[in-house]
Amino acid sequence: MNEGGPIVRIVDDDAAFLVAIARLLKAAGYLVRTYSSAAELLANLGDDAGCVVADLRMPGMDGLDLQGELLREANPMPVIFLTGEGDIPTTVKAMRQGAEDFLTKRGPKEDLFAAVDRALARDARKRGERAHLRLLHTRFDTLTPRERDVLRHVVAGRLNKQIAADLGISERMVKLHRTAITTKLQVRSVAELIRLVQAAGLFV
Amino acid sequence: MAASASLTMAAMNLLIWWKQRSAWANLLFSLTATGVAAFAYFELSMMRAQTPADFAAALRWGHVAVWFIVVPLVGFLRLYLHAGRLWLAWAVCGTRTLALLLNFLTGQNLNYLEVVRLVPVSLLGEPVFVAQGVPNPWQVVAHVNVLLLIAYCADATLTVWRRGEHRKAVMVGGSIILFQSIAFVETFLVFWGFVRVPITLGLAFLGLVAAMAYELSREVLSAAQTARELRENEARMSLAVGAANLGLWIQDFTRNEVWASDTWRRLFGFASSDSLTFERVLLRVHPEDRELVERVMAEAKAGGGQYEMDFRLLLPNGDVRWIASRGGVECDARGKALTARGVSRDITATKKSEQESRLLRQEIAHAGRVSLMGQLASALAHEISQPLGAILRNAEAADLFMQQASPDLDEIRAILADIRADDKRAGMVIDRMRALLRRNELDARPLAVGEIVADVVGLTQADALARRVKLNTDISERLPQVRGDRVHLQQVLLNLIVNGMDALEGSSRQDRQIDVTARLNDTQMVEISVSDTGHGIPIDVLPHVFDPFYTTKATGMGIGLSMSRTIIEAHGGRIWAENDPRGGAIFRFALAVAEETAPS
Repeated sequence: MNEGGPIVRIVDDDAAFLVAIARLLKAAGYLVRTYSSAAELLANLGDDAGCVVADLRMPGMDGLDLQGELLREANPMPVIFLTGEGDIPTTVKAMRQGAEDFLTKRGPKEDLFAAVDRALARDARKRGERAHLRLLHTRFDTLTPRERDVLRHVVAGRLNKQIAADLGISERMVKLHRTAITTKLQVRSVAELIRLVQAAGLFV
Repeated sequence: MAASASLTMAAMNLLIWWKQRSAWANLLFSLTATGVAAFAYFELSMMRAQTPADFAAALRWGHVAVWFIVVPLVGFLRLYLHAGRLWLAWAVCGTRTLALLLNFLTGQNLNYLEVVRLVPVSLLGEPVFVAQGVPNPWQVVAHVNVLLLIAYCADATLTVWRRGEHRKAVMVGGSIILFQSIAFVETFLVFWGFVRVPITLGLAFLGLVAAMAYELSREVLSAAQTARELRENEARMSLAVGAANLGLWIQDFTRNEVWASDTWRRLFGFASSDSLTFERVLLRVHPEDRELVERVMAEAKAGGGQYEMDFRLLLPNGDVRWIASRGGVECDARGKALTARGVSRDITATKKSEQESRLLRQEIAHAGRVSLMGQLASALAHEISQPLGAILRNAEAADLFMQQASPDLDEIRAILADIRADDKRAGMVIDRMRALLRRNELDARPLAVGEIVADVVGLTQADALARRVKLNTDISERLPQVRGDRVHLQQVLLNLIVNGMDALEGSSRQDRQIDVTARLNDTQMVEISVSDTGHGIPIDVLPHVFDPFYTTKATGMGIGLSMSRTIIEAHGGRIWAENDPRGGAIFRFALAVAEETAPS
């Protein structure tokens, strides 16, 4: 069903409203999928790009619960909340959890479209970051355990002599490991190496 | 010496009797003691007699003293020990009187027909005389008398001992038996001429009197102790009265005087030096309450009973003070009122707070109505925003579809149908709300309980979601219809569900749940229950939950449940509350099945 674009997932227990808003977004050119409950969405999440438009008040799992669950998933899409009339404490909580937007059900459609666009853009950006990170991790995964030990010491700013003493190996071996590391990670300088380690979120 | 000691004791007890005329035992003891003193005097006269005639005369008069010892002694024993056989007592008194008569009618005295001569002997180095003469056979009567007295005394002592008053038995009964036995032996030996010693009965009698005096003085001492305890009690009482800020007053009807404690005077605005009468006190009472006070007091006086009333005082400075007064009237044997005693307490603060809470209740009732409206309005907003939102989005979608090169007309037709359906839906919400808000008379008609429940649950669903309460329904299938007024029954159910949600405030999020069920119960009535998973209803609160203005909620008005009961009872049904053994409260109401649909 994926036609290559990001998919807007809409969750609302009110069938009439669900159909109506899906129609509107479809007419505006978005790819849309509808779900009558949060549980239904979570059961059919998939890993397609996109965002979620959810009614805040729903029986069973409500919008906030859904958002919390999504944050734990492998595909943590941004969530736009819809509500009949927003109350401040719920809004604050939703925003703190990283809600993309908070809209009233009968607000201007332009606001809705803008919010969906922003959410899709953010999802794309996050996806890019996640893909990059995954790539980095695959590169780091090629290191042997000994090479990772050496890397940890290098990043900590230790000299070869010290690393050799700490690990109980010869200075020559340390140098060999360092060469292997720079080759495997495709870096040319220590500065670049440290940037890469930080980007991958290692050794923190 | 024996005589003076006896006389002292006699005087003391005479004085006690004089002060307290009911103390007959003291008077009798006083007579006995006087007799002992007199006898001691005659004994001395005998020892110092110059001629046999003097001796005989002293002995004859000595018997008068003995009569005054023995007869009052018997009376004393009966009065003081409340024991001894009555016939024995009379026998003792009779023989003693007979002995006294014989004493004057036979011989020179009861003991001697004739005293022949006096023989000098030495008593403790003093030269005294003893008599020699012809014994009077009639003195047997005296011996019999003494034996009877001992018998009477022994009998009384045994009774007292059996009653458990061991000390009294030993001190009074025991000593009398001992000293009378000594007297009997001595007189028998002396007057029949077996031994030649002077008569020293005075000492024996003195011992007897001393034992009796000791016993009586204990009574005096215990009276003093009682008096001390009374004073102590009074002190404690006044401390308690002072701490409770109670004013005490006593009215003496015979003298029309009122005595009042300082606290009471302060309450009623009198100085401690003011002399009080009932009329003066009455003038302090607020004019509007004067009649009440007069009437209550008159009733209490006539009936000799207790009274209790609240009234107002109008103090000289114009202040009004509320007084709670209670007390009683004491009457004499013929039912004539003697005194009235009472306590008064300042209850102005209580009365004031009662008044304030009444006002507050009115305010809360008003606020409650407003908040119920607010709840309805909030429910209305949510209920209506759904279809309105759907209409808007559908219209916008149709707009966009129309802008496309080749519009999908089927889609647009579907959109228009949905718009009409949503409009109808919104209209129904408004109708339902209007019906709920209207206060109709009872308009009873057959109703489907499931619909009522669904309506109210629909109305409260938004509120429930906002408050994170899970609202479940379980309606039996094929439930017969009930007869009732839709709007009123919806109101009841709404109250119960909103109450349930209130009860869940502050409980942990997982188990916030309200179950609404409807089923046909054993008595063939449709029973609807609303149960929550809160903390339940405290056992002491349970009987009051349907009372008007009874509420345990900080912002409650205590109207909802009492109104619900009125409605259900107007339907001929009943409503009750109970606690779920698994926790939480259950409210149930049962309604009669509509006849048309009653299962055959």
